Amino acid sequence: MLDRDLIPREMEGAGSGDSGSGDANIDEIHHRRRMAEKMGGEEAVQRQHDAGRLTVRERIAKLTDQKSFREVGTLAGSGEYDESHRLLNVKPAPYVAGLARIDGRPVAIGGEDFTVRGGTSFGALRRKGGQGGFIEDLAHHYRIPLVNLVDGAGGTVTSAKRRGYVVFPGVDGFERSVELLGEVPVVSAVMGTAAGGPAGRAILSHFSLMVRGTSQIFAAGPPVVKRSLGQDIDKEELGGARVAVDKAGTIHNAVDTEEEAFEQIRRFLSYMPQNVWDLPPVTDTSDPVDRCEDALASIVPEKRTQPYDMKTLLGHVVDAESIFELQPTHGKAVITALARLGGRPVGVIANNPKVYGGAMDADAARKQIHFMELCDTFHIPLIFFVDVPGFMVGLKAEEEATLREGMRAVYVAGQLSVPTITLVIRKCYGMAGMATCNKNDIDLKLAWPTGEWGSLPVEGGVAAAFRREIASAPDPKTREKELEAELRAYASPFRTAEAFAVEEIIDPRETRPVLCEFIALAEGRVSADLGPRRKAGVSP
Amino acid sequence: MATISVKSEVTGSVWKVEKAVGDQVAKGETIMILESMKMEIPVDAPEAGTLKELKVAPEEPVEEEQELCLIET
Repeated sequence: MLDRDLIPREMEGAGSGDSGSGDANIDEIHHRRRMAEKMGGEEAVQRQHDAGRLTVRERIAKLTDQKSFREVGTLAGSGEYDESHRLLNVKPAPYVAGLARIDGRPVAIGGEDFTVRGGTSFGALRRKGGQGGFIEDLAHHYRIPLVNLVDGAGGTVTSAKRRGYVVFPGVDGFERSVELLGEVPVVSAVMGTAAGGPAGRAILSHFSLMVRGTSQIFAAGPPVVKRSLGQDIDKEELGGARVAVDKAGTIHNAVDTEEEAFEQIRRFLSYMPQNVWDLPPVTDTSDPVDRCEDALASIVPEKRTQPYDMKTLLGHVVDAESIFELQPTHGKAVITALARLGGRPVGVIANNPKVYGGAMDADAARKQIHFMELCDTFHIPLIFFVDVPGFMVGLKAEEEATLREGMRAVYVAGQLSVPTITLVIRKCYGMAGMATCNKNDIDLKLAWPTGEWGSLPVEGGVAAAFRREIASAPDPKTREKELEAELRAYASPFRTAEAFAVEEIIDPRETRPVLCEFIALAEGRVSADLGPRRKAGVSP
Repeated sequence: MATISVKSEVTGSVWKVEKAVGDQVAKGETIMILESMKMEIPVDAPEAGTLKELKVAPEEPVEEEQELCLIET
């Protein structure tokens, strides 16, 4: 209870509107709320805006459904009192958190308030956000998606002075963050400069994104790099989207504006169930499930060495406007996208013949692994559009551990329990080809008549297997070509279909109706198989 | 007027150059074809403009991220 005499005069008349409630305690709530809404003060908010960034409160308001934000922890902060214990001011905690709705569905949402001490941690009994923060408990206990709006650099050495001791790593551990990855969708948007804990927290998510030009992420920023390695590098060069998204794949998607980031978060969540015990949401679509597309009959060039546009191909098959690509600028030999068929979410994994003929390199393997695990966790059926000549070859590929990363993809594919359809568009060779099947499921392998497969493509294989015969021929080049032509005759997909080693060869034009039918059927199977994904074994 | 640098997405070699310096190119039009992993990889103009300079010639090996040509928009 607060003695009415202790309330500062300007609070008189405070309330939800302009008029006071007449109750000092209630008035105090509203007074304190207003102080929280001021964040780090006018100047600090102006600095945030001048840097081209919104405040965390503006971000939450723009991302979530109108008036849906129910804040939790509004009053947390550091209070200042005079000698007679009158409240002078409360400096809000540098983290804003609560519940809200996105497209009508509840989420837990929170983010560092950079205007308050740069979003660094503050000395409270309980953390509001970040790893081990209350926001994670909200998502865990209510089984709702978590949205992290990351804008902070984590710990500061000055806090040691305040506490009188240094904190042991892991006191606020990542255990809950890790647990959430198997329970509810977790999205992290890096909206400013993230280093240390917040940077690590951003990575522990199903989908992460950052804004080109105004956000950066790294294990440690330029001053630490300068001190440790003597390198002079600015924060954009070190951890801007060019490095973190395009090159490294540390963060999944890059966007140009904060508004676009909110759009992508809403989009990602629209494909996701609320948790692993729920079915993915089915939406209405005006795109007929029996739509046949003539363009598909001729999209794959007759000449085997000519690529085609896989994204155009996918666009002809899935529901109109339903493709949402993850990591479009990284590991481009494979395309990973959420999409819909007959309104049902599906995960699409398609090799891109325009990038190294679709050969799987280490980046593409890691990208495919994450996407397979994402869809498996949230019971979103997978469709592989296969055109893979094998693992990437060459010195660079070996140095990047392509074989190991590629086999990790095979390992993860071998543990999938979500319904999977394999559709061979053109090439399906070797071990990379094996990473496109899931024999735990019905193991349905469909193919277009342009499909071809085997342990390895005829070209390289002939030179190796018939080396002596070719070398001793009067005209080795001609002999090699003859052998290739001879073996290619056996490579007709129809011969494999005769042996029932692919289950069906389909007319490319009927791809959408066929896939829509199998995906609709998969729902019965998925609904009988909900819950957390099993964990097993040691990933290679 | 801006100059755009067109870079190779792959390691391989130049197979055919389809445009000459001074030619107009439309957005998405093929400027040259590389060969990599036994595939013909087209290099398309990211924007419409004039081909200002070619940095590579047929049969020359190219590295990922190597500059192939400049387009003036």
